[in-house]
Amino acid sequence: MIADILTGAVRSGTSVLFAVQGELVSERAGVINLGTEGAMLAGALAGFATTVWTGSPWLGALAGGTGGMLIALLHAFLVISRGANQLATGLTLMFLGMGLTAFFGRKFVSESIVGFNPAPIPLLSDIPFIGNVLFNHDPLTYVSFALVPLIGFVLFRTRLGVIIRASGEREDALFASGMNPKLVRYGAVLAGGFLAGLGGAQLSIAYTHSWVENMTAGRGIVAVALVIFAAWKPFRAAVGAWLFGAAQALQLTVQQQGYPISPYFLFMAPYLITLIALLAVEFRKKSRMPEALGKVFTGSPGGAG
Amino acid sequence: MMRSNATAMTNAAAAAEPARRGLPPRAKSALMQAGLFAAPFAAFGVFLLFYGVNPIDLYVSMFTSAFGNRYGFGEVLIKATPILLTGLAAAMPARAGMINVGGEGQLAIGALLSTAAAVTMLQAAPAWFGIPAMLLAGALGGAIWAGITALLRVKGNMNETITSLLLNYVAFYTVGLFVHGPLKDPASFNWPFSPPISDALRLPVLNGSRLHAGIAIAVVLAAAVWWVLSRTRLGFRIRVLGANAFAAERAGFRVSRMQLLTLVAAGALAGIAGMIEIAGIEGRLRPTTGANYGYLGFLAAWMAWNHPLRLVATSFLLGMIAVAGNSLEMNSGLPSSSVHILMALVLIFLLAGGRIGRGRRA
Amino acid sequence: MSGEILLQAKGVTKRFGSLTANRNIDLEVRSGTIHAILGENGAGKSTLMKMLYGVYVPDEGEFRMDGETVELHPPAKARARGIGMVFQDFRLVPAMTVLDNIALAEHGGGFRLRRKRLRERIREVSDRYGLKVDPDAWVWQLDLGQRQRLEIVKALMSENARVIIFDEPTSVLAPQEVEAFLDLLRRLRADGYGVLLITHKIREVLACADHVTVLRAGEVVWSAGREAGWDEAALVRAMIGDKSLQQVGRRNGPHGEPGGEKAPAEPEPFVTITGGVIKGDHGEMVLADVRLEARAGEILGVAGISGSGQRELAEALFGLRALAEGELRVAGRPMPADPRAFIEAGVTFVSEDPLRDSVIPGFTILEHMVLDGLPMKPKGAGIDWRGVREALEASGEARALALADPGRMADTLSGGNVQRMVLTRALLRKPKALIVSYPSRGLDIGTTRVIQQRLIELAESGTAVVLFSEDLDELLALSDRIVVLSGRRLHGPYRTEETDAAAIGSRMLKGESA
Repeated sequence: MIADILTGAVRSGTSVLFAVQGELVSERAGVINLGTEGAMLAGALAGFATTVWTGSPWLGALAGGTGGMLIALLHAFLVISRGANQLATGLTLMFLGMGLTAFFGRKFVSESIVGFNPAPIPLLSDIPFIGNVLFNHDPLTYVSFALVPLIGFVLFRTRLGVIIRASGEREDALFASGMNPKLVRYGAVLAGGFLAGLGGAQLSIAYTHSWVENMTAGRGIVAVALVIFAAWKPFRAAVGAWLFGAAQALQLTVQQQGYPISPYFLFMAPYLITLIALLAVEFRKKSRMPEALGKVFTGSPGGAG
Repeated sequence: MMRSNATAMTNAAAAAEPARRGLPPRAKSALMQAGLFAAPFAAFGVFLLFYGVNPIDLYVSMFTSAFGNRYGFGEVLIKATPILLTGLAAAMPARAGMINVGGEGQLAIGALLSTAAAVTMLQAAPAWFGIPAMLLAGALGGAIWAGITALLRVKGNMNETITSLLLNYVAFYTVGLFVHGPLKDPASFNWPFSPPISDALRLPVLNGSRLHAGIAIAVVLAAAVWWVLSRTRLGFRIRVLGANAFAAERAGFRVSRMQLLTLVAAGALAGIAGMIEIAGIEGRLRPTTGANYGYLGFLAAWMAWNHPLRLVATSFLLGMIAVAGNSLEMNSGLPSSSVHILMALVLIFLLAGGRIGRGRRA
Repeated sequence: MSGEILLQAKGVTKRFGSLTANRNIDLEVRSGTIHAILGENGAGKSTLMKMLYGVYVPDEGEFRMDGETVELHPPAKARARGIGMVFQDFRLVPAMTVLDNIALAEHGGGFRLRRKRLRERIREVSDRYGLKVDPDAWVWQLDLGQRQRLEIVKALMSENARVIIFDEPTSVLAPQEVEAFLDLLRRLRADGYGVLLITHKIREVLACADHVTVLRAGEVVWSAGREAGWDEAALVRAMIGDKSLQQVGRRNGPHGEPGGEKAPAEPEPFVTITGGVIKGDHGEMVLADVRLEARAGEILGVAGISGSGQRELAEALFGLRALAEGELRVAGRPMPADPRAFIEAGVTFVSEDPLRDSVIPGFTILEHMVLDGLPMKPKGAGIDWRGVREALEASGEARALALADPGRMADTLSGGNVQRMVLTRALLRKPKALIVSYPSRGLDIGTTRVIQQRLIELAESGTAVVLFSEDLDELLALSDRIVVLSGRRLHGPYRTEETDAAAIGSRMLKGESA
């Protein structure tokens, strides 16, 4: 049973994992994007629709990433080029994403696709216990496994990473080194949007094989919260995503086993767990928030532009 | 006062006549403001055209049905009421430097608590007692829910935007828990809703419409918030805190207490909105009671620069748009939620125009 | 004189709205020379430097390098042309390591971080010029002197650097470190760099510059090579024109000339810290074993290299920062770490960063006055603004400090006017104790003198003043006693008449009495 929960944790957490890694990059560059929820929804619909039209889930995944990126582009424009408040803009885009996908998604509600299915890796998936947990997933989940060390490598071992992090800490230093912090932030936000869209696409193409209005149900918000929980570190963020997935998997298991717990407690659980995780982080040593991000929260002048 | 869309468009057109060089800067700025305001409607209009809907028809009917007859006007006010209250719930903390997006959840818990009070303790109560009691219960529910966010902020240093958002989802499922369980109407054949509240507890209604007394409550509360913010020492301190928290700290303000107070008061306002939805419209609690009003209120608050009196106007405007959504659905088959796109567009243009800054002075 | 012309400015002008920060500036920097730009605060040096480094674009005039007109904006272009700058407020990222900060500035690194190669080059530069840096240290751990060394290494590592601009470099150094710094400049000169030194310290100019250009009110008023013969008096005259320098009245405080009308016994300590341990924002140890007494009617000066704990100590003295250990008492009573309690006890605080801490956007000067200043006169549930305004005008403080019109928005004020506002407010409070940091930072001499005079008068009326300042001359002129923050300890107090700049300077550096 535990193996089932863990397997479900990974599978259910993948969509959040993509979004979390994307938001991590964006926040490291100094931009917080509450519109991640809208980006995920856009990705879920774009991915699903493309898969319905073309029959190719890979094209669908690509379309999903693009959809998320478009929402993020709007966020980047408003926040970086127009100097708008990051939190208000993100919320607006969340709302926009919800409205747009509700509207355009109507005719996809009853469609069905083959999409991505679990593709067990030969040999490795036969290992008892962890075989199922790690090696019996859809291709996008495997991609997510590779994404985590990749993000870590880029951020901490390359000059690009130094540039991204400097943009989130002291854009003056970046400017004085001859680079344009705005461009860096655009890139980071777009990358974040692409990954969020990819996460949404995983949800519709690989996890549920369907489209339902508002199907992300707050995963985008959870992703933003988890980035803080993870102290902006990629591996910790992945753990957070899987934790959220575990809470969801727990729901299914409890229902299947017929325990007399109201399903609504279980529906609540993932969000409560995220809140508790955030609280636990606060009581540890103060984790270092990228400086530019800190200014967003204290409302100091000097947003992202 | 925010002009209605049609007047704005006419004005924009008229002002465009003598354009070109030599426009005094004030006219230019007014023109730009009007343009920024009209642009989302124009953009949405183009969108509608793609679906074979004539946007002019829609906008005109939006206007005429709102002002044309008592029933239409009442419908707009019915929608505007909860938006105004949740807007206040967003605006007041914003003036104190916090972003409260939890209006959605605070409204829901307010509705929950007031329904619970209504069907358990107040079933036989007369109106003069029951209605204020329900109001109190609603306010209490919203206040408690916001109190969680406030405590997490003050004691746990957790950002209130994220915690209030997460709590919205928890609130939604909490309501679900109750209407499927303890508060389920035994006569309902498994439909998830609560038993109806007694007739005595329903808010008085204006003849010839569904308009209930809730709008009066909301406007009075808006005036009260305005008065506190602009005319009292407490309001002065709140505004200072919102404009520069460092300065507030160094002036000896009790920052934590002020933050707690503001958020809890905001929650109470949203909770009252929840009670009004139950006692004024629905008569019983459903899983979807009050859905989206929290976010609409947030939007209205931002459009109003967090100013309580302007908020009356912007919530009226959003109410008009929401009602237009219904007629959109009836006449053209597009889902009523399409107007969410319009609302988001309005805010996007405002954000792009750089007009949304810190809360303006009361 | 010496080397080819590396960089030229011709007729450069820069305006900000109605303010002309630089007017018609001509300048020449040759290789193998040290060219000093001298001027007091507000003369326009900083604006000129920002144009040379590509942060601003001139409104008129041009820059020339290698015989042709060049565009130096944005900084990438200036760097490509070989201009390096060591900023006064460093452009470093505290949350990253030294190595990462250098990697940020280095082009040609490609995608991968060539850590080994970077380390080698860092060692090269570091050895050649005696600038020790630890590549793996976190920048937030470094003190200001170390950060400056890092900035210099960064500038020198650029392979095509020809002109190095130093913006007020010795403001973060103790007097004894300055000599080592000037030696560095001489070494750079010997290696053929064109060194541009921006400063207001005449002694440094005299010590090492080959050429000096004096700026006053945005214009070049004097430009000459060393061979023209210059001395301190000439430079001072050029810098401040013919304004007669009012000397600040030396304190006739409790320790002063005997026979003054009031010659009281040693006054009671009003604010005391015993056994204090102060920790920083990240839990690091900033000051230990702190023993401090601020007495009524006295000015206690706090000296130290910037970044030695001044901010943390000032915050502790107002309850903005709790002592990690030890006890703080005001008027004999132990205090909680709550500014409210300190305000009630009669303590007032003037922040070192009034733009961040004191200016409230969208509020008028008058509205600022009731925040730990004048009492908030009640009118019903609101505030009697007319009464507040009358109180303000009746007090005379505003006039004395030439406060701007109370109806103006505070966020439109210049730095000097913000300082006036904050100090007026503190004085209006008639506090029993005043904690004031860097009151004359960035202000012209005239305003500075007025502020210093008011502080003396405040002390004479019985207030205990704790004065944090980077200007040793100011500290020595105003304080009755001085303490020195150095090496995570508080040294002193030393009576001002028993010590001098050299002794204080050496304590700032080494910490024990020299």
